[in-house]
Amino acid sequence: MPKSFVLRAGERGHDVIYSDGSASSYVAGHPGSHITRESSFNFHQYQGGRPGFGTVRVFGDEVFSGAGCGYNMHPHHNFIICAFVLEGELTHINTAGQGMVDQLRQGDYYVFSAGSGGKHCELSISPENMNAIYLWLMPGQLFLPPSYHRAHFDIRTRRNRIAQLVGDADGALPVSQDLRVSRLVTDRAGGFTYTPRTPEHGVYVFVAEGSATVNEVALGRRDSLGISGVETLAIEAADSSDIFFVETAMLDDARIRAWEKAHGADLLD
Amino acid sequence: MDAPLKRWLCLGCGFSYDESLGLPEHGLAPGTRWADIPDDWVCPDCGTPKNQFEMVEMGYAEAGVDQARIA
Repeated sequence: MPKSFVLRAGERGHDVIYSDGSASSYVAGHPGSHITRESSFNFHQYQGGRPGFGTVRVFGDEVFSGAGCGYNMHPHHNFIICAFVLEGELTHINTAGQGMVDQLRQGDYYVFSAGSGGKHCELSISPENMNAIYLWLMPGQLFLPPSYHRAHFDIRTRRNRIAQLVGDADGALPVSQDLRVSRLVTDRAGGFTYTPRTPEHGVYVFVAEGSATVNEVALGRRDSLGISGVETLAIEAADSSDIFFVETAMLDDARIRAWEKAHGADLLD
Repeated sequence: MDAPLKRWLCLGCGFSYDESLGLPEHGLAPGTRWADIPDDWVCPDCGTPKNQFEMVEMGYAEAGVDQARIA
């Protein structure tokens, strides 16, 4: 039986974290630099919403504003962190393997599996704003060897089809989880079908730009839909739309189940 | 009856707490139950409060348990 929820852009958690004052050790940048974080699920200070979706614990829409803005070096373990740069430039320094300083621009994305431990630092070193989508995933196992992979999604050559960026498809970045991330960028209106691996998989659909109707639910810019229990998703996308699909195994998670019970949204029942 | 020992994951950074291993270097002996850790305890790596940990039923990767002992 299909279960779904709709999360409008303005219903997400909203945090602004400044580079000066109490968060200065956490956030880098010149005075007045700040990170704007829109969280689809509970994360750090924002604890007023849904705890997650399947294996996804964080879905953040973040803007780094001001020269040097970003997160100072901080530790990670176990989580698989993905970032998809929508605009600006992200300098990503991480200690996985031999360590790496990476610079990602529009269309670039990474999958960083923190596993048995690592640190990373993420900065927008130019004065231009940097906007990225961040995804944190539960790993398949604890203490996997840390790994880092990155790739580029070419918006010019991969338009008007649903392209898999992370998962098991040819050319997709590998991930140690039952998960796929796909992206649809259009330059004309059109109809598309997304077919999850099984109807038991959930799909979180996020409209980064433009608008779309997904299984008859109308979504505007930065609106999203979580759905499970369906064979396919029917998407009618507007011209100039940019849509992410995060397909995940639906874990039977006690925190999510409790939240859904309390909010009358029994997605897993 | 003894409940099985459990594992918990910090939702701020991914640090894991395994009841069977404890965190001896932070004063938590092996076998210390999550419920017996004070409510004001925070993640030793990132400072996230105890209530933002999630219980996980997840196995260790190969050799992971040895690394967990020294994490």
